[in-house]
Amino acid sequence: MKALEYFEVESPEPVGGEAYRAIAEHILQDLDLLKVIGRLHIFIDPEIPLFLAVGLTRKLPRLVRLGDIANVLADGDRIVLDIADETHLSEMLTLLWDLYGRDRIDQPDRFTVVISAAGTEAAEIENLVVFDPSESLYKDIIYALQYIAPEGFKVRREWVKEEQFFYIASENTLDEDVLQTIVAEKFRLIGVTV
Amino acid sequence: MTLVPVTYKGGIYRHDEIVDLIEDLGGYVVQKHTIAQDVILQSLVPREDIDLIRQIARPLMGEVTEAPLVGAEIAVVSPSLEIHHLPHSSCDVAEYFRSVGAKTNMVGLARGFGKRIANLNIEERDVINEHDCAVFLLGNFEECIRHKFPALRRGITVPIIVTGAPATDRLRAIIDPPVEGYVGGIGRLAHRMKKQEGEIEHLDTLVDEVARVLDTRRNEIAKDPLSASPARLMTVIDEAMQITEASTHPTPITVQIAGLRVKIPYETYAETLRTLNIEEGITLGDVADVLPSRMRTYIWIKIRPFSETNIMV
Repeated sequence: MKALEYFEVESPEPVGGEAYRAIAEHILQDLDLLKVIGRLHIFIDPEIPLFLAVGLTRKLPRLVRLGDIANVLADGDRIVLDIADETHLSEMLTLLWDLYGRDRIDQPDRFTVVISAAGTEAAEIENLVVFDPSESLYKDIIYALQYIAPEGFKVRREWVKEEQFFYIASENTLDEDVLQTIVAEKFRLIGVTV
Repeated sequence: MTLVPVTYKGGIYRHDEIVDLIEDLGGYVVQKHTIAQDVILQSLVPREDIDLIRQIARPLMGEVTEAPLVGAEIAVVSPSLEIHHLPHSSCDVAEYFRSVGAKTNMVGLARGFGKRIANLNIEERDVINEHDCAVFLLGNFEECIRHKFPALRRGITVPIIVTGAPATDRLRAIIDPPVEGYVGGIGRLAHRMKKQEGEIEHLDTLVDEVARVLDTRRNEIAKDPLSASPARLMTVIDEAMQITEASTHPTPITVQIAGLRVKIPYETYAETLRTLNIEEGITLGDVADVLPSRMRTYIWIKIRPFSETNIMV
């Protein structure tokens, strides 16, 4: 798997470790996360039992602003949006409806949206944040790790902060101190001190 | 006359001639699939007549191949059929078994996942015990298999074949008491099995192993033969009750090694079946137990051996 800078699966059982490496590769590929995760270390010990994944995401794609997906033209009291990219159109409409009310937003055709709000600046509208990729990204990462983890490991904890994340799962309740030590140890392997 | 399991594959055109031929030779068509223009017949035919069938099938472009698992119903047991682990290796295994003529049922356990928490409930146990053998598809870690398998096999009386990612000899080493068959290299995976090396080859090994286990079972039964052949009973029941005609099941009457599963309600039809005349006043009830199946409301017929009934039909 070339896309990740660092990817290791560590397990006392080499056969099982290798199998889980293949599983993780397939799942990350299926969910299109290879480009987003930079470093990933998975540790599985079936004896305890414990599944632990620690990782770092890459620089996230930037926020999508309204100006990025549409040309904003002031036309007297109205503002006309000429849609260039439809990908986030539904998020944009929801946002505009919330801000100005449905009766002021008109969409005469597929690529045109008209806002009838006197006194609104075009620049102000251009700057509105339509979509934040990080929101759904962390959900996707945690979902992928749940997917990779052995089934039946129902006691779990997930943690996401800035670009770091970990996911831990087991069948038994685990000692807090032990967990912190293991997590810190595995984070060190990918070059992070916590 | 020994009947051997074969698969006939050919076009739908004039395939009824082949069906008639098999029946005239004293064989049985256990299962018939019609897929678009093709027909697949899973059948039991006399060993010495295979060449004759091949000869007659040649102008029809039909093909006769050996299918070691025809006439067996196999439970493919997986610790869970959870959606987030799809695609399952169980699907590959079940499909592969079908391609060699077996009738497979997939059993996804309700609480079979995990290591310490894995278990088998009574209904699952009873359903599995109605099959000819059970193939347990376990996971990737030796430690988990060693720990959970005793819980999963509790109460299972039919022969068991275990698969898992560890090598075959490792499986043999960690499972105690021993089971009838082991196949390594088939564990949890996140893709369909497509590669010949490391994937399909293990499925082939698994088919051989299951065929070996079932042969042992057949030989065991041959020492005290059944009072009636399951395939023959299937024909008799179907002729009398026209079950295939009225049913949408792929196999309305499923042939097992020593029994049959008839997919009609037990409450309504059990008595009719018991009193069904097989030949010269001998009824089905004389040679077999007609039991309620744990699978839906079906009927499970267990054929009694000759030593119990003193009848051979």
